[in-house]
Amino acid sequence: MEASTAHAESHGHMPVANASVEFNREKLGMLLFIFSEVMLFASFFTAYFFIRVVQGGEWMPAGQELPVGVAFANSAILFSSSATMHWALEGVRHNNRKALKAGLVLTILLGATFLGVQISEYAHLGFLPKDSAQATAFFSLTGLHGTHVAVGLIILCVVARRAFKGHYGPEKDKHWGVEIPGIYWHFVDVMWFFVFTSLYLL
Amino acid sequence: MAVTLRSPGWYRAALSTLIGAAFGCGLVVGLRALFGWDEIVQAESIVSVVLITAPLGFLYGIGCFDYWIHWAAGRPTYVDDHSDHGARSWKDYFRVNTDHKVIGIQYVVTTFFFFFVGGLLAMTFRAELIEPGRQFIDAQTFNALFSAHAAFMIFTFMVPVFAGIANYVLPLMIGAPDMAFPRLNALSFWFLPVAGVLMMASFLAPGGAFATGWTAYAPLSDQAPMGQTFFAVAVQFAGASSIATAINFLVTIVTMRAPGMTFWRMPMLAWANFATSLLVVLATPFIAGSQFMILFDRALGMNFFDAVQGGDSVMYQHVFWFYSHPAVYIMVLPGFGIISEVISTHARKPIFGYRMMAFSLLAIVVLGFSVWAHHMFVASMQDWIRIPMMFTTMLIAVPTGVKIFSWLGTMWRGAIHLRVPMMWALGFITMFVLGGISGVMVAVVPFDIHVSDTYFIVAHFHYVLFGGSMFTIFAGIYHWFPKMTGRMLNDTLGKWHFWLTFIFFNLTFGPMHLVGLEGMPRRVADYASEFAAWNAIMSFASFALGLSTLIFVYNVIVSWRSGKPAESNPWRAQTLEWQISSPPPIFNFDEVPTVVGHPYEYGVPGARHGIFKHPEPLAAAKAPVPAGVGDDD
Repeated sequence: MEASTAHAESHGHMPVANASVEFNREKLGMLLFIFSEVMLFASFFTAYFFIRVVQGGEWMPAGQELPVGVAFANSAILFSSSATMHWALEGVRHNNRKALKAGLVLTILLGATFLGVQISEYAHLGFLPKDSAQATAFFSLTGLHGTHVAVGLIILCVVARRAFKGHYGPEKDKHWGVEIPGIYWHFVDVMWFFVFTSLYLL
Repeated sequence: MAVTLRSPGWYRAALSTLIGAAFGCGLVVGLRALFGWDEIVQAESIVSVVLITAPLGFLYGIGCFDYWIHWAAGRPTYVDDHSDHGARSWKDYFRVNTDHKVIGIQYVVTTFFFFFVGGLLAMTFRAELIEPGRQFIDAQTFNALFSAHAAFMIFTFMVPVFAGIANYVLPLMIGAPDMAFPRLNALSFWFLPVAGVLMMASFLAPGGAFATGWTAYAPLSDQAPMGQTFFAVAVQFAGASSIATAINFLVTIVTMRAPGMTFWRMPMLAWANFATSLLVVLATPFIAGSQFMILFDRALGMNFFDAVQGGDSVMYQHVFWFYSHPAVYIMVLPGFGIISEVISTHARKPIFGYRMMAFSLLAIVVLGFSVWAHHMFVASMQDWIRIPMMFTTMLIAVPTGVKIFSWLGTMWRGAIHLRVPMMWALGFITMFVLGGISGVMVAVVPFDIHVSDTYFIVAHFHYVLFGGSMFTIFAGIYHWFPKMTGRMLNDTLGKWHFWLTFIFFNLTFGPMHLVGLEGMPRRVADYASEFAAWNAIMSFASFALGLSTLIFVYNVIVSWRSGKPAESNPWRAQTLEWQISSPPPIFNFDEVPTVVGHPYEYGVPGARHGIFKHPEPLAAAKAPVPAGVGDDD
C-alpha cells in the first residue's frame, strides 16, 4: 500500500467507535449477507416451484432421471464437512492448533470431493440444461449451490494458509477469521439439504 | 510507467480491464473448444462473460481489492489502515477512498451524472412525442430510449443517490467515525459507475440498446438483441452495490451508535435507512435471480421462460416484482427520513409521533413484501391472487398516511422557516399525496384493468418518484450541502429552481392522468391525434423541467467554488452532524460524543441531544449502557 506514505500527514487517529452492542461487526455482516443469499436461492426455488408445481410437468421427464444414490452419498460427504469445520473452530477456541489445521484440511478435502462428484454427475447425467425446463431448474439450483461451495473452498483455503502460518488464537477476538468462514460453510451445507431434498427426494 | 502500472489507479485499471476482457474471451472460447461444441466462437456467451470479467478487472485495477488480496496472500495488513482515507484535492475523488464522506460525495455526484443522462434520454423521446406520427426516431430506438431512461433513473440514480446521502450523513448522525466496513463501502461505490457505463455501452451493441422496458419481461427479453445482456449484467453490478451498502448501513447502525444513542434516540434518517436496508438485503437478491435467469436463458439456452419446454414466463414477473415492488419503498423510505429531518429542523418542532414514525417504517417494510402482484393484475396469473393483493396494497396506504399526518402534525404551530430545503419538503408532501392517492386508485382491480399500460400509470409513478423521491433528494441536498462542502448554496437560485421545477413538473406529468384515462397507451412511439395538444404541452414542459435543473447545477458549481462559507450549524439543528465543523474533520469526531437526549427537542429550554465531554473518557464504552440493546436482536 504505497499510498499510505502520500497521505501520512493527514492521519490523526481515528477514534475508536463506540460498541453499542456486544456483537462482532463482521459476524453480523456475514449473517446479513447470508439472509440475502437465502433470498437469492429463494428466487431460484420460485422458478423451481413454477416449473414443477404450477406448470405441473413430470419430474423429472423420462430419460432425465437423477442418480439419487450418488447424490445421497455426496450429501453425506458435504454434511460431514460441517462437523469437521466445527471441530476446527473448537480446536482454535481451545488452543488446539492440531485440531484447527486438521479440521480445516479435512473440510477442504470433503468439500472438494463433493464438488468433484457433482461435476462428474453433471458429465454422466446424459442431458443438458437446455433439454427441458426441469433440467434448467436442476442445473441452475445445483449450479448455484456448487458455485457457493467453490467460493467457500477458496475462502477456506485462505483460512487454512493463515492457520498454517500460525495466525488465530483462542482469545475472543483472535479467531473470528475461522468462525465467520465457518458460518458461511454451514450455510452452504444447510442450503444443500433443501436443494437435495427438493430436487432428488421429493 | 512500470510503477504506475503496479500501483492502484487509472493506468492499472485500463490495463486490467483489457486483461479481464481477454481472459473472459479466452475462458469461453477455451471451454467451448474443450467440450467440442459446434459453435466455438459464440457472441452471446462471450459477451455475457466479458461484461463480468472486464469490470472485475477494472475494479481490481482501480484498487478495490488490494487490501483483501494482501490479506488473502497472508501478507501483513493492518485492520485500521486509513491510508485511503479522506480527500485533499479533487483528484482524490477519482481514487478508491475509504472515507464515508468522500464516498458519499462520489455517490451523489456520480448518480446525478446518470440522472442527467436519464433526463436527456427522456427529453429525446418527449421530442419524438411532440406530435403524432414519426418525427426523427424509429420505434425500436424509442423503445430503447424509454427503457434506458427508466433503467438509469432507477438503478443508477434513485436507489444509489439515497445511499450516497446516507453514506455522508448517517455515520455523523449516530456519532460513528466511519462506516462499519469502509473498504466494502468503497467497493459498493465503484460497482455503480460500472453499472452505468455498461448500460451506456449497450447503445453500441449490435441491434441497439435494451428495448424491453426496465422491467425486461420474459420471454421478450430472452429473444431481444444483445443490448439486453448489457442490461442484465449492469443490474447485477447495481444490485451487488446496493446489497453491500445495505449490509454496511445495518451493521453500522446496530453496532456503532454513540454511547447513549438508543434506537429510540436515533434521528429519523437513521431509522429510515435501517428500514430501507432491511428491504434491500431481503428483496434485491430477487432481481439478481431474475436477471441471472435471463442471462442463462440467453447464453446457455436454458428454458426458464419457454412454455414449450415446460418453463413459465409469468414466473419472471413474480420474481421480478417481488424485488421491484419493495424497490419502490427502497426509493422513497430514505426520502421519508430526509423529510422528517428537514421539517422538524426548519419548523422548530419535535417530530410528532416519533415512535409511530419508526413503527410505520417497519410496517411498510413488512407489508411491502406482500403486494407485488398488483403489478400483474392483467398478467395471466391466477385470479385468486388479485383480491388479497388489492387489500394489502390499500393497507400499505395506512402507515404511509401515518407519516403524512406526522409531518403535518410536526409543522402544526411550528415556527416555520421557509428556507429552500423546507420548500422542497412542502412540495414533496403535496406531490407525494397526489401520487399516493392515484396509487390507491390503481390498487383497485377493476380500475387498474382500465388504466393498465396507459399514461395514467406513468403519471402515478412520476408523482411518486419525481414529486416524491426526487423532491426529497433536492431537500436533502439543500439541507446538507453546507455540511458536505462548507459552503452555503445561493438562496435566490434555490428558490427559482424549486418553483420552476414544481410548476413544470406538474405541467409535464399532470396531464398524463387525463390522457391516460382517455386511453393513451404508454411505451408506444405514436399516438392518436386527439392527444396531440396535451402531448405538445407535456413535451415543452418537460424541456423546461430539464432546463430548470441547470439552475441547480449552476448553483452547486458556483456555490461549491465560491459560495458563502457555512457555519457549523446554519439551521440550528440538534442532531450530531451539526455539532462539528463544516465540512467535518477527517475522522468526524475527535472524541465520540455522548448522547443524552432526543434529537429533535426544539423549543425545549436547555435540551441537548449530544455532549462532547466525558466525565471519564475510558469508561465511555461501558458506562451508559444503551437501552436500545434489546431492540437489536
